[in-house]
Amino acid sequence: MTGYLEVTIDKFTFRVAPDRWYTREGVWVQPSPLTPFPEGEGNQRVKVGLSDFLQQRSGDVAFAEIKPVGTRLVVGDEIASIETIKVTVALASPISGQLIEVNPALETVPEAINQDPYSTGWLAVIEPTAWDTDRSRLLDAAAYLDMMRHAAAEELP
Amino acid sequence: MTNDHRIVIVPCSGIGKTYGSVSREAAYVATEDLRPAETQLVALSLLVLGDEQARAEVADNVSITIDGCQLACASKMVKESGGTIAKNYAVLEVYRRHRQFKPQGIGELNAGGQQLAQALAEEIAQEIDALTLAEQTGGQHG
Repeated sequence: MTGYLEVTIDKFTFRVAPDRWYTREGVWVQPSPLTPFPEGEGNQRVKVGLSDFLQQRSGDVAFAEIKPVGTRLVVGDEIASIETIKVTVALASPISGQLIEVNPALETVPEAINQDPYSTGWLAVIEPTAWDTDRSRLLDAAAYLDMMRHAAAEELP
Repeated sequence: MTNDHRIVIVPCSGIGKTYGSVSREAAYVATEDLRPAETQLVALSLLVLGDEQARAEVADNVSITIDGCQLACASKMVKESGGTIAKNYAVLEVYRRHRQFKPQGIGELNAGGQQLAQALAEEIAQEIDALTLAEQTGGQHG
């Protein structure tokens, strides 16, 4: 992953990966490179994870508990619970679909969410059931960067 | 381990942060209750301020550091003060091993935080014993 969008506020720099979509809460959604979008509703896979801004704001991750493979999700359902040194965050699923893979590394190395949120710190893979509809509600990277910049400016001095 | 050659314990100074409070509480338990004869507590703030006596204590003895977050201020300041870190503990990693002790609170730690601090202090005490034995036998500890 290269060419991050970045914004620096005070001593903090937040990166946004340009090749995916985002919820306003900071969950990213990335179509699998093996099944690029949009090509219909079948055989698609999307990977989800936390944005750099969300992981920095939440703090060092102690535990990441993700719903089990096979779980059917509707937009807004809890997909994972992330316990950090500051808070426990219930993450809402950004799309509807079935959870088909969970990042096994997070069981032993949950800090990957902090260290590499856009790559090795991914949470899960979902097979979407209403991708076109769900995607229309998501922000592209530029829109998320703009929203995040305002949110960060409000929270930081 | 003699009184003039003790193991220095340097905890996080994270005032106002739960994990920092756990690190300090663990340091108090280790140095005041569990191994008072073998250890000496050095406040991180003194190292930050460049206090000569604190820097000398760190430079002349091995240290055990306790960090409350990934910034690892305790470890960094011990190194910058010319000290040697025999063992570093990160409170987050200790919590991962003792998930039943969820720390909460800042000014006053909850029961989970107190129990986590106790568990950490006991781990530190074991490390102190190993270091002390290694010094007495002239062996290496690693």
